[in-house]
Amino acid sequence: MKNFSIYRSWKGFISPFILGLYLSFTPALASTSIKYKQNIQPLSKISGIVTDGQNPLPGVSISIKGKAKSVITSDFNGQYTLEAAPNDTLVASFIGFKTLIIPINGRKIINIKLQEDITSLQEVRVNAGYYSVKESERTGSISKISSAAIEIQPVTNMLATMQGRMAGVSITQTTGIPGGGFEIKIRGQNSIRPGGNAPLYVIDGVPYSSDPIGYNQTSTTFPTVTSPLNSINPDNIESIEVLKDADATSIYGSRGANGVVLVTTKKGKAGKTKFTITASTGSGQVTSFMKLMNTQQYLAMRAKALSNDGITEYQAWDYDINGTWDQNRYTNWQQELLGGTAAISKLQGTISGGSETTQFLFSGNYHTESTVFPGDFLYKLGGAQFSLNHRSEDAKFKMTFSANYTAQDNDQPAFDFTYDARALPPNAPALYDANGNLNWENGTWDNPLRNLSAKFESKTNDLLANTVLSYEIVSGFVLKSSFGFTDLRHTESRISPSTIYNPSYGIGSAYSGIYLNNTNRSSWIVEPQMSWEKELGKGKFSMLLGGTFQNQSTSHLFQSGTGFSSNSLIYDLASATNVRVKLSDETVYKYQAFFARINYNWQERYIVNLTGRRDGSSRFGPGNQFANFGAVGAAWLFSNETFLKNSSWFSFGKLRASYGTTGNDQIGDYQFLNTYSSSGIPYDGVIGLQPTRLYNPDFGWETNKKLEVALETGFLHDRVFLTAAWYRNRSSNQLVGIPLPGTTGFSALQSNLDATVENTGLEFTLRTLNCSTKNFNWTTSLNLTLAQNKLLRFPGLESSSYKEQYRINQPLNIQLLYKYKGLDPQTGVYQFADVNNDGKIAFPDDRQTVVDLNPEYFGGLQNQLSYKHWKLDFLFQFVKQKNRNYPMGFAGQMSNQPTKMLNSWQQPGDNGPYQIYTIGYNDAAVTADYLYSESDAAISDASFIRLKNIALSYDLPLSIKNTQCKIMLQSQNLLTFTKYEDGDPEFTNYGYLPPLKIITAGIQLTF
Amino acid sequence: MKTISIQTILTSRPMLLTFFLSLAMSINSCDSFVEVDLPKAQLTSTTVFQDVATANAALSDIYSNIRDKGLLTGTAYGVSNQLGSYTDEITCCGAPADPTLDFHNNVLLPSNTAVASFWNTTYNQIYATNAIIEGIRASTTLTANDKKHLEGEALFIRALLHFYLVNLFGDIPYITTTDYRNNSVVSRMPSDEVYQLIIADLGASVNRLPEGYSNTDRIRPNKYAPKAVLARAYLYQGKWADAANAASAVLNKTDLYVWEADLDKVFLKESKETIWQFMSATSGKNTDEAATFIFFSGPPPLVALNENLVNSFTSNDLRKTHWIAAVTDGTTTWHHAYKYKEFNFTPSSQEYSIILRLTEQYLIRAEARAQQGDLIGAKEDLNKIRNRAALNDTNAVSQQEILDAINQERRWEFFTEYGHRFFDLKRYGKINNTLSGIKPGWNSTDILFPLPQSELSANPNLRPQNPGY
Repeated sequence: MKNFSIYRSWKGFISPFILGLYLSFTPALASTSIKYKQNIQPLSKISGIVTDGQNPLPGVSISIKGKAKSVITSDFNGQYTLEAAPNDTLVASFIGFKTLIIPINGRKIINIKLQEDITSLQEVRVNAGYYSVKESERTGSISKISSAAIEIQPVTNMLATMQGRMAGVSITQTTGIPGGGFEIKIRGQNSIRPGGNAPLYVIDGVPYSSDPIGYNQTSTTFPTVTSPLNSINPDNIESIEVLKDADATSIYGSRGANGVVLVTTKKGKAGKTKFTITASTGSGQVTSFMKLMNTQQYLAMRAKALSNDGITEYQAWDYDINGTWDQNRYTNWQQELLGGTAAISKLQGTISGGSETTQFLFSGNYHTESTVFPGDFLYKLGGAQFSLNHRSEDAKFKMTFSANYTAQDNDQPAFDFTYDARALPPNAPALYDANGNLNWENGTWDNPLRNLSAKFESKTNDLLANTVLSYEIVSGFVLKSSFGFTDLRHTESRISPSTIYNPSYGIGSAYSGIYLNNTNRSSWIVEPQMSWEKELGKGKFSMLLGGTFQNQSTSHLFQSGTGFSSNSLIYDLASATNVRVKLSDETVYKYQAFFARINYNWQERYIVNLTGRRDGSSRFGPGNQFANFGAVGAAWLFSNETFLKNSSWFSFGKLRASYGTTGNDQIGDYQFLNTYSSSGIPYDGVIGLQPTRLYNPDFGWETNKKLEVALETGFLHDRVFLTAAWYRNRSSNQLVGIPLPGTTGFSALQSNLDATVENTGLEFTLRTLNCSTKNFNWTTSLNLTLAQNKLLRFPGLESSSYKEQYRINQPLNIQLLYKYKGLDPQTGVYQFADVNNDGKIAFPDDRQTVVDLNPEYFGGLQNQLSYKHWKLDFLFQFVKQKNRNYPMGFAGQMSNQPTKMLNSWQQPGDNGPYQIYTIGYNDAAVTADYLYSESDAAISDASFIRLKNIALSYDLPLSIKNTQCKIMLQSQNLLTFTKYEDGDPEFTNYGYLPPLKIITAGIQLTF
Repeated sequence: MKTISIQTILTSRPMLLTFFLSLAMSINSCDSFVEVDLPKAQLTSTTVFQDVATANAALSDIYSNIRDKGLLTGTAYGVSNQLGSYTDEITCCGAPADPTLDFHNNVLLPSNTAVASFWNTTYNQIYATNAIIEGIRASTTLTANDKKHLEGEALFIRALLHFYLVNLFGDIPYITTTDYRNNSVVSRMPSDEVYQLIIADLGASVNRLPEGYSNTDRIRPNKYAPKAVLARAYLYQGKWADAANAASAVLNKTDLYVWEADLDKVFLKESKETIWQFMSATSGKNTDEAATFIFFSGPPPLVALNENLVNSFTSNDLRKTHWIAAVTDGTTTWHHAYKYKEFNFTPSSQEYSIILRLTEQYLIRAEARAQQGDLIGAKEDLNKIRNRAALNDTNAVSQQEILDAINQERRWEFFTEYGHRFFDLKRYGKINNTLSGIKPGWNSTDILFPLPQSELSANPNLRPQNPGY
């Protein structure tokens, strides 16, 4: 077997590695036996005030050089006191200011004036996964947001915090119900396979699988089944880095094609033990409703539809208009079913602190969110986080441990009410009768609130722990190993009690059912690494070598129980007459890799960065398990060249480029096997076995080649900082469930398709420091992405099953549509272009108009202002895009319609613009309505500008020492400007609750 | 000057060592890290057909699958309900989103998901039969007898499913392999050729299956099940003599099939008239048909019988009183099919969904005899059915009168059963005349369903679309 030889090579690698490690301890012991030297200087008390030249600076850490345990922080008034020897040296440091070193020289009072460090952003180290780089020296494309931007957003999902803040990262919220999912695309859609475009998530070095944990029989509330990403609590996050180009992602090899999202959790900081308590409360509401007909308009439409269809005597089932229902009744169903206010509250507490060598952080949080739907539903999210850092006093040994635990408890109606809210006739009956019971109006309608008793409940517990141990054996040579563990336990249930059925069915609890999903996923990862750094010539050489061993096992248990003696026993599976196990499975995913990085930095002017990885994955059949990936990145810091070094206006300049390969293995486990699996259904005394899939043993990796060129420039001491990047990613060897005609028995087959998808784009970020005075600061950040997606190559597209889905040189996300020509004023029926002139409008020849639904451009504009104790931060998110209109079905049937449908054709000669009403008997109109919904007329401008986030805070000027109190007002999605008429413009599947508009007020106390 | 805690290093060093050594050991203990075992809920195809028990499990799954999904299910999504609504048997009263509504209004579009589901589900079931046939043929461990019986059942199901497809969609591909490379580019086959293959498969099935049932409840076919379908296939093809012979072969098997004189017992699980029926999903559950058609208060939540059908019965017809029930809200009266009477769970199942019953064989033979000029024989078979419903012998005299009477009798006998009415109207060429008066949405091209749009797009060889879509 091929992989056997690979394994051999691993053994060859690891053995000397371990041996070397072992041997290295003996000399190391000798070299570290340094004798103690007692410091006998007398100590005296030193005090003073720390200012920025104008105002006192609280929270500045002041330490004595060489004395690790001496750290103190300045109080709220900037005052500090410590004990030091007369010949000691003070070190004062504070984020955003230049670190100051002050020899005491026998003084007793030392007032410290810190200078703001406006270029400090370039000094910040950016997490690149296996290594970190100084912002100014990075060769790859990495976007970052930090806790400052995350904490001001009243949301519970990590992806929500990233919306509008990162160039090249497009995120769409799929539902406003808490616990629902987000769609993320980093630099566009690379894979033709819709499920193959998720980035790799890595939390504190531990890969976190984003594969769904839901089950389509239980997660019916959401457009997509439950995602585990809700377990990553934004409250615990220190920073999120997104790796985008080959230079940054190739070291993640087969899993880097769609970008990598690195999450770093909060860590303790040296200093006095600090307590922080944050509490906030607020509300959420739907951003916008559709404009729908009122009763009068609706009934007029119905009457006209019936007469158009030649029905003079209303039929028995036309309850809305035949007198069965009150025709004077009006209910705004959107208000009734979606118009509630969700109550949101959050409580968080953190204790952190530590010495120079050991720091800790412990925090806990609890968040609840109710619903905008009728009924009592609640989403609860709580968690605890613990982090411990330690280093030996000689800084050779380092240890980091962190553990994050998150628990979610979600209680929602099993079905979203959005569809009902839009479709119900406005004169449909009252929800409750006089006695407060559900009103079925003699069985003439399906009361939407029947679904209140169809409950969805989920509980997710997620533990993520990791430890990193490192030891510097000789100067510059570090051995490191990280160990990670994840354990996710998820249970989900949906009940379908008999009370959701129209009582005229006469259905009793024998028809009640429960659906259960237990999904557990655990994984471990070990990544031994060694790194070496050395001054080499006029430059600095660094190298990293490492290996990965990962094992992930996922178990699913899907069950259903039906037939209960009473609906009150519905949660007791033992009381079900029929219990069926739909799936009881355990899948294992094993992954092995070796990776390396070589970096050479010549005088901080020329930097070359080489990365590579060899990956093996159990998702592929024998012979296809291993593949190599690699990249080269380079940067030229031309501002460090002598001719620019002393420029007064040009402060920073870097040109960087990268090229390399990454891969994609997101096809699920065991897809290469030909198997039968249990159907869970008994017949003739045995449980059935069914063919699992059409099988193909020969598929392999999808490869993605990435190219990027970027220019980073800073002007006027980086008060104006502009980055422009151009990228081109090409994905080939597409791993696709090739859609097959139904005659094959299945809808798809996994296979590598020789097609190439290209994503190109321009990304701009601009940061300006507009004003920086004693009391007033104002910064503006803008990010803008112009992206294009294109199917470059597809041999045999014309004869393939994709023929009516894709076009060469067009994006993957196109819609092929009929061309709408207008209304026939005589018949009142929509007309379409007969492309092939065969006298009829038919698929496929006439459905050839291409419309691109990818955003043309998107981005965000953020402003941060501070004035004395006030701080204001707001972000406008903008997206230029088109999207589908909400399909309401043909106007005239027993279903409400948008008010725009009032402008419908009434009599010959009318121009509409909407077509003749019909109750469904007018074949031509029904067909035309369908064609219309599949035509370019059903696409409209869904661009929007959204005040995504606005946060205002005020620091109470307290006189209590070391105590801070902040009052905050935060809002998400407060304002939305759009031309889109069918509700909120942000959605992936229509008919689901849009993102909510959230406003919260809170208080934060630090002491 | 630095102060170094030697302790830290001394404690950290063994720790590091332990980690790296244990790592090295764990790696040495597994030979090939990225090889994984089979998931516990799956068996390889080869293993399934090594043992008769697992092969049987694969076959049984097809029956439960057909019972629950696709054309022959008794739920609202099967042809019994959908074709009943499509013709003049059922009216539709459900909510606007009801799946039956488009059938009821005769406005099926190529994008209709219920139509696509008929197509895809049925070919998925056909795939399962082909996988069994191939698996059995390749098996080296199954006995010849087991192989014969399993293959006989699989062939029967394959033919039966194609029979419904050809009658709904017209020319269709006849799939006999699991090879997707072949099946993804198939073309439509003229329906006469489809019939030839159906008849051949049914013949082969008759030869392989035993005389008796493997289970007393008749939930798996014996050789008379394919024989009964063969009679129907010959009838639809106009091969009268073959149809009459096949029907006689079933009718003459009197030790198995006993005429049931009591209408209330015809649809019971133990009925001796039954040739083949589906076991219910769980013990105590009764038929999906009962759950679909029966309702207890008006207006009906989903469907009711078309009054046109109800009024067509003569008042003394026992089927009108025994197989149809009325529900009233005081002012309006609705009717529902009441062949299957057990709506709820019972301590043990009382009724199973019957796919093939003896009555049809009498009416097949009656029609085939009449077509061949054997008018007396035809009337004899027809009167057997009429007399059970307390109707007098037919007064039809001429051949045409007798054929018309048989057609009328089939409407009364087989309403809401597997789309008989739709197929009969088509066969007799009476569908346009009959339906255009009653159904405002009816078009002459509605005699065939549209091929699913997704299907035409995935396999251009299946084009053109059926006329009218």
